[in-house]
Amino acid sequence: MRVFGKAPGDDDRPLVERARRGDQDAARALFERYFDRIYNYVYARLGRVEDAEDLAIDTMTRSLTRLDLFQDQGVAFSSWVYRIAHNATIDHYRRQGKVTLVQLEGANLPPSADPSEMAVERMSNEDLRAAIRELTEEQQQVVILRFFQDLTAAQVAEITSKSVGAVQALQHRALASLERSLAGRPVN
Amino acid sequence: MIPENQRLERLAERLRAIESAPPSPAAKIRAWNLVSAGLQTPVGSSARRRSAVRLVAGGLAAVALLVAGAVAAAADSLPDSAFYPVKGTIENLQGVLALTASDQFKYHLSLAATRLREADAMFSRHRVDLADRALAGMEEQLTSAAAIVKVVKESDPAVAGSLAGQLKNAVETHDNQLAGLQGQVTNPTAVDAITKARNRAQEALQLAAAPADNKPGNGNTSASASATDQGQDSSGSPSISPAPSRNP
Repeated sequence: MRVFGKAPGDDDRPLVERARRGDQDAARALFERYFDRIYNYVYARLGRVEDAEDLAIDTMTRSLTRLDLFQDQGVAFSSWVYRIAHNATIDHYRRQGKVTLVQLEGANLPPSADPSEMAVERMSNEDLRAAIRELTEEQQQVVILRFFQDLTAAQVAEITSKSVGAVQALQHRALASLERSLAGRPVN
Repeated sequence: MIPENQRLERLAERLRAIESAPPSPAAKIRAWNLVSAGLQTPVGSSARRRSAVRLVAGGLAAVALLVAGAVAAAADSLPDSAFYPVKGTIENLQGVLALTASDQFKYHLSLAATRLREADAMFSRHRVDLADRALAGMEEQLTSAAAIVKVVKESDPAVAGSLAGQLKNAVETHDNQLAGLQGQVTNPTAVDAITKARNRAQEALQLAAAPADNKPGNGNTSASASATDQGQDSSGSPSISPAPSRNP
Protein backbone atom coordinates (compact mmCIF):
# COMPACT_ATOMS: atom_id res chain seq x y z
CA MET A 1 0.00 0.00 0.00
CA ARG A 2 1.40 3.36 -0.99
CA VAL A 3 1.65 6.25 1.46
CA PHE A 4 2.16 8.88 -1.22
CA GLY A 5 -0.43 11.51 -2.05
CA LYS A 6 -1.66 12.03 -5.54
CA ALA A 7 0.71 11.36 -8.41
CA PRO A 8 2.96 14.22 -9.42
CA GLY A 9 1.79 16.19 -12.41
CA ASP A 10 1.40 19.54 -14.09
CA ASP A 11 -0.21 21.14 -11.04
CA ASP A 12 3.28 21.64 -9.60
CA ARG A 13 3.73 24.64 -11.89
CA PRO A 14 2.12 27.34 -9.69
CA LEU A 15 4.06 26.08 -6.68
CA VAL A 16 7.30 26.07 -8.65
CA GLU A 17 6.70 29.64 -9.81
CA ARG A 18 6.01 30.80 -6.26
CA ALA A 19 9.03 28.94 -4.88
CA ARG A 20 11.17 30.51 -7.59
CA ARG A 21 10.14 33.94 -6.30
CA GLY A 22 11.29 32.97 -2.81
CA ASP A 23 7.99 31.75 -1.32
CA GLN A 24 9.07 29.34 1.43
CA ASP A 25 5.57 27.91 1.87
CA ALA A 26 5.52 26.87 -1.78
CA ALA A 27 8.95 25.32 -1.45
CA ARG A 28 7.78 23.47 1.64
CA ALA A 29 4.74 22.16 -0.22
CA LEU A 30 6.95 20.84 -3.02
CA PHE A 31 9.29 19.31 -0.46
CA GLU A 32 6.39 17.53 1.26
CA ARG A 33 5.10 16.34 -2.08
CA TYR A 34 8.39 14.83 -3.25
CA PHE A 35 10.70 13.95 -0.40
CA ASP A 36 9.10 10.59 0.50
CA ARG A 37 8.74 9.66 -3.16
CA ILE A 38 12.35 10.43 -3.93
CA TYR A 39 13.54 8.63 -0.81
CA ASN A 40 11.58 5.54 -1.86
CA TYR A 41 12.88 5.74 -5.41
CA VAL A 42 16.48 5.93 -4.25
CA TYR A 43 15.99 3.30 -1.55
CA ALA A 44 14.57 0.88 -4.11
CA ARG A 45 17.64 1.47 -6.27
CA LEU A 46 20.30 1.26 -3.56
CA GLY A 47 18.77 -0.85 -0.78
CA ARG A 48 20.62 1.03 1.98
CA VAL A 49 18.73 3.39 4.26
CA GLU A 50 21.70 5.69 4.99
CA ASP A 51 22.65 6.10 1.33
CA ALA A 52 19.02 6.58 0.33
CA GLU A 53 18.54 9.31 2.93
CA ASP A 54 21.70 11.11 1.86
CA LEU A 55 20.80 10.99 -1.82
CA ALA A 56 17.18 11.99 -1.21
CA ILE A 57 18.35 14.97 0.84
CA ASP A 58 20.87 15.84 -1.85
CA THR A 59 18.23 15.60 -4.58
CA MET A 60 15.72 17.80 -2.76
CA THR A 61 18.36 20.37 -1.86
CA ARG A 62 19.64 20.50 -5.42
CA SER A 63 16.19 20.79 -6.93
CA LEU A 64 14.53 23.26 -4.57
CA THR A 65 17.49 25.59 -4.06
CA ARG A 66 18.36 25.67 -7.75
CA LEU A 67 14.96 26.22 -9.33
CA ASP A 68 16.71 28.79 -11.52
CA LEU A 69 18.17 25.82 -13.39
CA PHE A 70 14.76 24.29 -14.07
CA GLN A 71 13.66 25.16 -17.57
CA ASP A 72 9.97 24.61 -18.08
CA GLN A 73 10.27 23.40 -21.67
CA GLY A 74 7.57 20.80 -21.72
CA VAL A 75 9.23 18.76 -18.99
CA ALA A 76 7.27 18.51 -15.77
CA PHE A 77 8.92 19.52 -12.51
CA SER A 78 8.39 15.96 -11.26
CA SER A 79 10.38 14.57 -14.20
CA TRP A 80 13.19 16.98 -13.47
CA VAL A 81 13.33 15.92 -9.82
CA TYR A 82 13.34 12.22 -10.74
CA ARG A 83 16.12 12.87 -13.27
CA ILE A 84 18.20 14.56 -10.58
CA ALA A 85 17.60 11.57 -8.30
CA HIS A 86 18.51 9.18 -11.12
CA ASN A 87 21.71 11.08 -11.90
CA ALA A 88 22.61 11.20 -8.21
CA THR A 89 22.11 7.43 -8.04
CA ILE A 90 24.31 6.82 -11.07
CA ASP A 91 26.95 9.10 -9.58
CA HIS A 92 26.73 7.14 -6.32
CA TYR A 93 27.23 3.86 -8.20
CA ARG A 94 30.22 5.39 -9.96
CA ARG A 95 31.80 6.53 -6.70
CA GLN A 96 31.22 3.10 -5.20
CA GLY A 97 32.87 1.49 -8.21
CA LYS A 98 29.68 -0.29 -9.24
CA VAL A 99 29.95 0.09 -12.98
CA THR A 100 27.75 -2.50 -14.63
CA LEU A 101 24.79 -4.49 -13.56
CA VAL A 102 24.08 -8.10 -14.46
CA GLN A 103 22.08 -8.45 -17.63
CA LEU A 104 19.66 -11.17 -16.66
CA GLU A 105 18.26 -11.79 -20.10
CA GLY A 106 21.43 -13.35 -21.41
CA ALA A 107 22.60 -14.76 -18.11
CA ASN A 108 22.83 -18.42 -17.32
CA LEU A 109 19.73 -18.74 -15.20
CA PRO A 110 18.24 -21.87 -13.71
CA PRO A 111 15.43 -23.37 -15.75
CA SER A 112 12.14 -21.71 -14.97
CA ALA A 113 10.05 -23.46 -12.40
CA ASP A 114 6.45 -24.17 -13.14
CA PRO A 115 5.07 -20.62 -12.99
CA SER A 116 1.89 -21.82 -11.37
CA GLU A 117 4.03 -22.94 -8.44
CA MET A 118 6.18 -19.85 -8.34
CA ALA A 119 3.95 -18.24 -5.73
CA VAL A 120 5.22 -14.69 -6.03
CA GLU A 121 2.63 -13.84 -3.42
CA ARG A 122 4.70 -15.74 -0.89
CA MET A 123 7.96 -13.99 -1.75
CA SER A 124 9.08 -11.53 0.91
CA ASN A 125 9.20 -7.86 0.03
CA GLU A 126 12.96 -7.85 0.61
CA ASP A 127 13.46 -10.78 -1.78
CA LEU A 128 11.51 -8.92 -4.42
CA ARG A 129 13.45 -5.70 -3.80
CA ALA A 130 16.74 -7.60 -4.01
CA ALA A 131 15.70 -9.26 -7.26
CA ILE A 132 14.79 -5.88 -8.74
CA ARG A 133 18.24 -4.56 -7.90
CA GLU A 134 19.70 -7.32 -10.06
CA LEU A 135 17.90 -6.05 -13.16
CA THR A 136 19.66 -3.83 -15.67
CA GLU A 137 19.92 -0.13 -14.94
CA GLU A 138 17.08 0.81 -17.31
CA GLN A 139 14.84 -2.05 -16.24
CA GLN A 140 15.21 -1.13 -12.57
CA GLN A 141 14.31 2.45 -13.30
CA VAL A 142 11.17 1.52 -15.22
CA VAL A 143 9.99 -1.10 -12.69
CA ILE A 144 10.48 1.23 -9.73
CA LEU A 145 8.84 4.21 -11.37
CA ARG A 146 5.90 2.18 -12.69
CA PHE A 147 5.15 -0.09 -9.76
CA PHE A 148 6.65 1.60 -6.69
CA GLN A 149 5.97 5.18 -7.67
CA ASP A 150 2.68 4.48 -9.49
CA LEU A 151 3.64 6.60 -12.46
CA THR A 152 2.06 6.14 -15.88
CA ALA A 153 4.07 4.88 -18.84
CA ALA A 154 3.86 8.39 -20.30
CA GLN A 155 5.35 9.93 -17.16
CA VAL A 156 8.14 7.35 -17.09
CA ALA A 157 8.78 8.06 -20.78
CA GLU A 158 9.27 11.75 -20.00
CA ILE A 159 11.61 11.06 -17.10
CA THR A 160 13.73 8.59 -19.05
CA SER A 161 13.56 10.51 -22.36
CA LYS A 162 12.17 7.43 -24.11
CA SER A 163 9.02 6.76 -26.10
CA VAL A 164 6.00 5.25 -24.37
CA GLY A 165 6.41 2.16 -26.53
CA ALA A 166 10.03 1.77 -25.45
CA VAL A 167 9.02 2.06 -21.80
CA GLN A 168 6.32 -0.59 -22.24
CA ALA A 169 8.79 -2.90 -23.97
CA LEU A 170 11.34 -2.35 -21.20
CA GLN A 171 8.68 -3.02 -18.59
CA HIS A 172 7.73 -6.31 -20.26
CA ARG A 173 11.35 -7.44 -20.48
CA ALA A 174 11.97 -6.38 -16.90
CA LEU A 175 9.04 -8.39 -15.56
CA ALA A 176 10.07 -11.43 -17.61
CA SER A 177 13.65 -11.17 -16.30
CA LEU A 178 12.37 -10.74 -12.77
CA GLU A 179 10.15 -13.79 -13.10
CA ARG A 180 13.08 -15.91 -14.27
CA SER A 181 15.24 -14.58 -11.46
CA LEU A 182 12.61 -15.30 -8.82
CA ALA A 183 12.07 -18.79 -10.16
CA GLY A 184 15.61 -19.61 -9.10
CA ARG A 185 15.16 -18.36 -5.54
CA PRO A 186 13.83 -20.34 -2.63
CA VAL A 187 10.63 -18.99 -1.12
CA ASN A 188 11.16 -17.91 2.48
CA MET B 1 0.37 -23.59 -17.52
CA ILE B 2 -0.57 -19.95 -16.92
CA PRO B 3 -0.13 -17.68 -19.98
CA GLU B 4 2.84 -15.32 -19.76
CA ASN B 5 0.76 -12.16 -19.76
CA GLN B 6 -1.25 -13.35 -16.79
CA ARG B 7 1.88 -14.37 -14.91
CA LEU B 8 3.55 -11.02 -15.52
CA GLU B 9 0.41 -9.14 -14.55
CA ARG B 10 0.32 -11.13 -11.34
CA LEU B 11 3.96 -10.27 -10.69
CA ALA B 12 3.23 -6.60 -11.41
CA GLU B 13 0.38 -6.65 -8.90
CA ARG B 14 2.68 -8.21 -6.32
CA LEU B 15 5.23 -5.43 -6.90
CA ARG B 16 2.53 -2.78 -6.49
CA ALA B 17 1.65 -4.34 -3.16
CA ILE B 18 5.14 -3.87 -1.72
CA GLU B 19 4.87 -1.35 1.04
CA SER B 20 6.89 1.82 0.65
CA ALA B 21 9.67 2.38 3.14
CA PRO B 22 9.23 5.76 4.84
CA PRO B 23 12.30 7.89 5.50
CA SER B 24 13.16 8.51 9.13
CA PRO B 25 11.69 11.69 10.64
CA ALA B 26 15.24 12.81 11.45
CA ALA B 27 16.23 12.57 7.79
CA LYS B 28 13.20 14.57 6.77
CA ILE B 29 13.95 17.29 9.30
CA ARG B 30 17.60 17.39 8.21
CA ALA B 31 16.53 17.58 4.56
CA TRP B 32 14.14 20.48 5.14
CA ASN B 33 16.72 22.35 7.25
CA LEU B 34 19.21 22.09 4.41
CA VAL B 35 16.67 23.10 1.78
CA SER B 36 15.49 25.97 3.94
CA ALA B 37 19.05 27.19 4.52
CA GLY B 38 19.68 27.02 0.76
CA LEU B 39 16.51 29.00 0.04
CA GLN B 40 17.63 31.82 2.27
CA THR B 41 20.82 32.31 0.26
CA PRO B 42 19.84 31.63 -3.34
CA VAL B 43 22.85 31.32 -5.64
CA GLY B 44 23.34 34.34 -7.85
CA SER B 45 20.79 36.64 -6.24
CA SER B 46 23.13 38.05 -3.61
CA ALA B 47 25.81 38.60 -6.25
CA ARG B 48 23.30 40.39 -8.48
CA ARG B 49 22.10 42.50 -5.54
CA ARG B 50 25.70 43.41 -4.71
CA SER B 51 26.42 44.38 -8.31
CA ALA B 52 23.30 46.54 -8.46
CA VAL B 53 24.22 48.34 -5.26
CA ARG B 54 27.70 48.92 -6.58
CA LEU B 55 26.36 50.33 -9.83
CA VAL B 56 24.08 52.78 -8.00
CA ALA B 57 26.91 53.87 -5.74
CA GLY B 58 29.18 54.31 -8.75
CA GLY B 59 26.59 56.57 -10.43
CA LEU B 60 26.49 58.85 -7.41
CA ALA B 61 30.24 59.06 -7.00
CA ALA B 62 32.44 61.74 -8.49
CA VAL B 63 34.25 61.18 -11.79
CA ALA B 64 37.46 60.50 -9.91
CA LEU B 65 35.82 57.58 -8.17
CA LEU B 66 34.40 56.10 -11.37
CA VAL B 67 37.57 54.25 -12.26
CA ALA B 68 37.88 52.79 -8.78
CA GLY B 69 34.20 51.88 -8.85
CA ALA B 70 34.56 50.15 -12.19
CA VAL B 71 37.51 48.14 -10.95
CA ALA B 72 35.59 47.10 -7.82
CA ALA B 73 32.56 46.10 -9.87
CA ALA B 74 34.77 44.21 -12.29
CA ALA B 75 36.23 42.10 -9.51
CA ASP B 76 32.92 40.32 -9.01
CA SER B 77 31.59 40.70 -12.55
CA LEU B 78 30.27 37.82 -14.58
CA PRO B 79 30.82 37.01 -18.25
CA ASP B 80 27.57 38.72 -19.28
CA SER B 81 28.59 41.98 -17.59
CA ALA B 82 30.01 45.05 -19.31
CA PHE B 83 32.74 45.12 -16.65
CA TYR B 84 33.95 41.63 -17.45
CA PRO B 85 36.82 42.66 -19.79
CA VAL B 86 38.18 44.84 -16.96
CA LYS B 87 38.21 41.76 -14.76
CA GLY B 88 40.46 40.05 -17.30
CA THR B 89 42.93 42.93 -17.17
CA ILE B 90 42.99 42.82 -13.36
CA GLU B 91 43.58 39.07 -13.42
CA ASN B 92 46.43 39.41 -15.91
CA LEU B 93 48.06 42.00 -13.65
CA GLN B 94 47.71 39.65 -10.70
CA GLY B 95 49.36 36.96 -12.80
CA VAL B 96 52.35 39.19 -13.49
CA LEU B 97 52.73 39.79 -9.74
CA ALA B 98 52.81 36.06 -9.02
CA LEU B 99 56.56 35.57 -9.18
CA THR B 100 57.30 32.24 -7.54
CA ALA B 101 56.11 28.89 -8.84
CA SER B 102 54.03 28.45 -5.69
CA ASP B 103 52.34 31.84 -6.16
CA GLN B 104 51.67 31.07 -9.80
CA PHE B 105 50.19 27.72 -8.85
CA LYS B 106 47.83 29.40 -6.36
CA TYR B 107 46.98 32.02 -8.95
CA HIS B 108 45.89 29.37 -11.46
CA LEU B 109 43.89 27.42 -8.89
CA SER B 110 42.15 30.61 -7.80
CA LEU B 111 41.28 31.47 -11.40
CA ALA B 112 40.01 27.93 -12.01
CA ALA B 113 37.62 28.32 -9.05
CA THR B 114 36.55 31.75 -10.35
CA ARG B 115 35.82 30.33 -13.82
CA LEU B 116 33.76 27.53 -12.27
CA ARG B 117 31.70 30.02 -10.25
CA GLU B 118 31.12 32.01 -13.42
CA ALA B 119 30.05 28.89 -15.32
CA ASP B 120 27.59 28.01 -12.55
CA ALA B 121 26.11 31.51 -12.65
CA MET B 122 25.85 31.42 -16.44
CA PHE B 123 24.08 28.04 -16.38
CA SER B 124 21.59 29.49 -13.92
CA ARG B 125 20.96 32.34 -16.37
CA HIS B 126 20.65 29.82 -19.23
CA ARG B 127 23.69 31.35 -21.00
CA VAL B 128 25.18 28.02 -22.02
CA ASP B 129 27.55 29.69 -24.51
CA LEU B 130 29.18 31.80 -21.81
CA ALA B 131 29.14 28.91 -19.33
CA ASP B 132 30.96 26.76 -21.90
CA ARG B 133 33.63 29.45 -22.30
CA ALA B 134 34.02 29.76 -18.55
CA LEU B 135 34.48 26.00 -18.25
CA ALA B 136 37.09 26.09 -21.00
CA GLY B 137 38.86 28.76 -18.95
CA MET B 138 38.70 26.55 -15.87
CA GLU B 139 40.24 23.64 -17.80
CA GLU B 140 43.02 25.93 -19.02
CA GLN B 141 43.83 27.15 -15.51
CA LEU B 142 43.91 23.61 -14.12
CA THR B 143 46.21 22.52 -16.94
CA SER B 144 48.52 25.45 -16.17
CA ALA B 145 48.55 24.53 -12.47
CA ALA B 146 49.31 20.90 -13.37
CA ALA B 147 52.16 22.03 -15.63
CA ILE B 148 53.69 23.93 -12.71
CA VAL B 149 53.52 20.80 -10.53
CA LYS B 150 55.29 18.85 -13.24
CA VAL B 151 58.06 21.42 -13.58
CA VAL B 152 58.56 21.84 -9.81
CA LYS B 153 58.88 18.06 -9.53
CA GLU B 154 62.26 18.28 -11.23
CA SER B 155 63.77 20.63 -8.66
CA ASP B 156 61.83 20.01 -5.46
CA PRO B 157 59.82 16.80 -5.27
CA ALA B 158 58.59 17.59 -1.74
CA VAL B 159 57.06 20.92 -2.75
CA ALA B 160 55.69 19.31 -5.90
CA GLY B 161 54.01 16.66 -3.73
CA SER B 162 52.33 19.35 -1.67
CA LEU B 163 51.17 21.21 -4.78
CA ALA B 164 49.92 17.96 -6.32
CA GLY B 165 47.84 17.34 -3.18
CA GLN B 166 46.33 20.82 -3.40
CA LEU B 167 45.57 20.28 -7.08
CA LYS B 168 43.91 16.94 -6.33
CA ASN B 169 41.71 18.54 -3.64
CA ALA B 170 40.76 21.37 -5.97
CA VAL B 171 39.88 19.00 -8.82
CA GLU B 172 37.80 16.83 -6.47
CA THR B 173 35.90 19.86 -5.20
CA HIS B 174 35.31 21.11 -8.72
CA ASP B 175 34.26 17.64 -9.88
CA ASN B 176 31.67 17.40 -7.09
CA GLN B 177 30.29 20.79 -8.01
CA LEU B 178 30.23 19.88 -11.71
CA ALA B 179 28.53 16.55 -10.95
CA GLY B 180 25.84 18.50 -9.12
CA LEU B 181 25.40 20.86 -12.03
CA GLN B 182 25.36 17.97 -14.49
CA GLY B 183 22.42 16.46 -12.67
CA GLN B 184 20.51 19.69 -12.84
CA VAL B 185 20.93 20.97 -16.36
CA THR B 186 18.75 19.53 -19.11
CA ASN B 187 20.27 21.22 -22.16
CA PRO B 188 22.37 18.57 -24.02
CA THR B 189 25.01 21.17 -24.97
CA ALA B 190 25.38 22.08 -21.31
CA VAL B 191 25.63 18.42 -20.29
CA ASP B 192 28.33 17.87 -22.95
CA ALA B 193 30.26 20.94 -21.81
CA ILE B 194 30.22 19.77 -18.20
CA THR B 195 31.24 16.24 -19.15
CA LYS B 196 34.15 17.61 -21.14
CA ALA B 197 35.21 19.88 -18.28
CA ARG B 198 35.16 16.98 -15.81
CA ASN B 199 37.26 14.85 -18.15
CA ARG B 200 39.75 17.66 -18.77
CA ALA B 201 40.11 18.26 -15.03
CA GLN B 202 41.01 14.59 -14.60
CA GLU B 203 43.51 14.91 -17.45
CA ALA B 204 45.12 17.82 -15.61
CA LEU B 205 45.56 15.57 -12.59
CA GLN B 206 47.19 12.94 -14.80
CA LEU B 207 49.51 15.58 -16.23
CA ALA B 208 50.56 16.59 -12.72
CA ALA B 209 51.13 12.94 -11.80
CA ALA B 210 53.33 12.31 -14.83
CA PRO B 211 57.05 11.92 -14.13
CA ALA B 212 59.23 15.00 -14.46
CA ASP B 213 60.94 15.52 -17.83
CA ASN B 214 64.37 16.01 -16.25
CA LYS B 215 65.57 18.08 -19.16
CA PRO B 216 68.82 19.97 -18.49
CA GLY B 217 68.15 23.54 -17.43
CA ASN B 218 64.46 22.91 -17.05
CA GLY B 219 64.47 22.81 -13.30
CA ASN B 220 64.69 26.51 -12.53
CA THR B 221 61.50 27.55 -10.81
CA SER B 222 62.86 30.78 -9.34
CA ALA B 223 61.23 34.14 -9.71
CA SER B 224 63.80 35.31 -12.25
CA ALA B 225 63.28 32.25 -14.42
CA SER B 226 59.53 32.56 -14.44
CA ALA B 227 59.60 36.30 -15.00
CA THR B 228 61.61 35.90 -18.18
CA ASP B 229 59.81 32.84 -19.46
CA GLN B 230 56.44 34.17 -20.50
CA GLY B 231 54.18 32.11 -22.71
CA GLN B 232 55.17 28.68 -23.94
CA ASP B 233 58.52 27.00 -24.10
CA SER B 234 60.06 25.66 -27.27
CA SER B 235 58.41 22.27 -26.86
CA GLY B 236 55.01 23.89 -26.90
CA SER B 237 54.07 22.83 -23.37
CA PRO B 238 52.79 25.44 -20.94
CA SER B 239 55.55 27.24 -19.07
CA ILE B 240 55.42 27.83 -15.33
CA SER B 241 54.70 31.49 -15.90
CA PRO B 242 51.09 32.60 -15.79
CA ALA B 243 49.31 31.54 -18.95
CA PRO B 244 47.41 34.33 -20.66
CA SER B 245 43.90 34.11 -19.29
CA ARG B 246 41.49 32.79 -21.93
CA ASN B 247 38.50 33.89 -19.90
CA PRO B 248 37.83 36.74 -19.51
